[in-house]
Amino acid sequence: MKRSQFLTSLLAVPAALLFPSCNKTDSAGRKLTIAFMPKGKGNSYFIACEKGAREAVSELGVELLFDGPTNTDPAKQNEIVENWTTLGVDVIAVACENTEGISGALKKAQQKGIKVVTYDSDTTQDARSFFVNQATPQGIGEALMDEAARLCAEEGEFAIITATLTAANMNEWRKFIGSRLASKYPKMKLVDTKPCDDQKDKAQSEATNLISANPNLKCIMAICSPAVPGAAEAIKQAGKAGAVKLLGLGLPSENRAYLKEGVTQSVILWRVADLGYLAIQVANAVANKSLNPGDKTFKAGRLGELEIEGSSIILGKPFLFTKDNVDQFDF
Amino acid sequence: MSPQTRFIPKQLLRQEFLLLMVVLLEVGFFLCTAKNFGTSDNISNIIRHSAEIGLLTLAMMPVILTGGIDLSVGSLMGFCAVMFGVITHDWHVATPPAAALTLLAGLLAGAFNALLITALRLPPLIVTLGTYSLFRGLAEAITQGTKTYRSFDSDFINLGEIHWVGMPIQAWIFASAALFFYLLVHRTTFGRSFRAIGFSPEGTRYAGISVQKRTALPYLLTGITAALASLLFTARLHQARADAGMGYELYAVTAVVLGGTSIFGGTGTVHGTLAGITAIAVLSNGIGRVPAVFKAGVGGELAALLTGALLLIALTAPGIGNHLAKMFAKDSTNLEKLKPSVSQHAQKTPILPS
Repeated sequence: MKRSQFLTSLLAVPAALLFPSCNKTDSAGRKLTIAFMPKGKGNSYFIACEKGAREAVSELGVELLFDGPTNTDPAKQNEIVENWTTLGVDVIAVACENTEGISGALKKAQQKGIKVVTYDSDTTQDARSFFVNQATPQGIGEALMDEAARLCAEEGEFAIITATLTAANMNEWRKFIGSRLASKYPKMKLVDTKPCDDQKDKAQSEATNLISANPNLKCIMAICSPAVPGAAEAIKQAGKAGAVKLLGLGLPSENRAYLKEGVTQSVILWRVADLGYLAIQVANAVANKSLNPGDKTFKAGRLGELEIEGSSIILGKPFLFTKDNVDQFDF
Repeated sequence: MSPQTRFIPKQLLRQEFLLLMVVLLEVGFFLCTAKNFGTSDNISNIIRHSAEIGLLTLAMMPVILTGGIDLSVGSLMGFCAVMFGVITHDWHVATPPAAALTLLAGLLAGAFNALLITALRLPPLIVTLGTYSLFRGLAEAITQGTKTYRSFDSDFINLGEIHWVGMPIQAWIFASAALFFYLLVHRTTFGRSFRAIGFSPEGTRYAGISVQKRTALPYLLTGITAALASLLFTARLHQARADAGMGYELYAVTAVVLGGTSIFGGTGTVHGTLAGITAIAVLSNGIGRVPAVFKAGVGGELAALLTGALLLIALTAPGIGNHLAKMFAKDSTNLEKLKPSVSQHAQKTPILPS
């Protein structure tokens, strides 16, 4: 009795699978189905992305599947991609948490005839047809430097707070900040660069140190997102609001209060909703074969004609959030 | 018919049977409502996605059967994944010996749990709560919480993808583990004593069984199984990171308890555990393929919710059933009706062999 039960519990699944009566394998309806995945569903950045994606979806009349891990979880991303593959969607657009790890799952999708595009963070090149890139390192670096120069009237000392001195993307940005500084702003001087380990508290203490160690400091540039509110708190507590200008790369929502108080002058980021909008436009065009490898430009709905570098489609110049426009954005 | 069969509590048989019905119901329901549920690709997905948790569940079962618990398995997966990364990338050891060393690391970690629990007689809940933080903390310390080991041997990465005789390799590994634990728990005297230990450690000791020695084995097995799961996980994700297996210990405990093993130990079967794993794996895959669910993008959330509901129903149903039976029993005529069906079964079994 025991043994037979064991066997039946083992056999249950395959046996039930033999019931052919209602085993559905038909593909989706005629509408193109685009599956769209954020790094994490709860992240306000990706909620803004989703908003843009939904706008493009209603414009194009395609079907959207929006799903992803509740919190960033690379294993869950792979799982969802593999499940979408067997569901038989037409295109998958994904912001990859794990560049290499998701490539296997994406390649399997491609083998099944599903088109793959990535946005925000790329996978390996052979696992997708296009990458929707929010900004180039050059674009970010130059935008940061130009804005710092504008705030300081192109003259005086400034300091940088970064995440770590080894972070690849930030070092790339710093390279372009440096070259812009050397070529365009001879009267400005970078006095120090401090890491904050991507922690708000540490950014605050580093900013406090920078302010007391450099009495002539005119501007702090915070290039990782936790550093912007961290440095703002330091400037506020030192009573230097306005005297030491602050700009940085971060989410407008995290900096809204400091922008309004006049502690932080500008926050630089791309329009996140546009990133989602563009990702859907690209996904749709790849599926329709109106966008093909080798194309140099892409006409993306209301965003107009965009440049393609290799297989990356560039969203455009970074956007400047100030106290005047920050209320229009909710990410 | 083996003599111990008639001593299996009826209630347990009932929960396993009910669970089997639940699995069949799920499969039938999803075949009708979920998209491409019964395709071979999807069955392969179900197996691959639940293999690691499935292995942890199998190893967790004997632990809970002895009245213990091992909350450190998920953290140990993270630690072993990182160790595998260190051994292959920093020590430049070839993959097969590195995998063997990782299994050894898992075994040692399990031995550490076992030592604290059996030699120092500390409560398993507290010990493994401690190692739950300790193992994860070690993994995070080694990687400083940021380092991810990538670029593994292509043969190793293939482990996460390849099929063997039409089934993903995980299916064969899982089936072997299931067979191993089935034989251990139900077919060896050593394993059978787990149930006795869980039922009454004192009584078992008076029966002349060395309780501490036997209690140690399940913890060694969870250790090595967590290491094995971490290797499969690393192969599937092409990366080893400190956060591997985060929260898996609770999935494993859920599947064991759903499978009819008492959380207090003493009762439970491996095949019940298998049914528990299957019920959860099928549910979480299937629900995400129901059109209304995947269109709303709430598959993961709904799967967690329904798994929780299923567990609570499974735990309360026998109690409610008994309560209802008692209520009926107050009515004497119903009592008469109930009695024969109960005693019939109890009498039948001893009669059969003669």
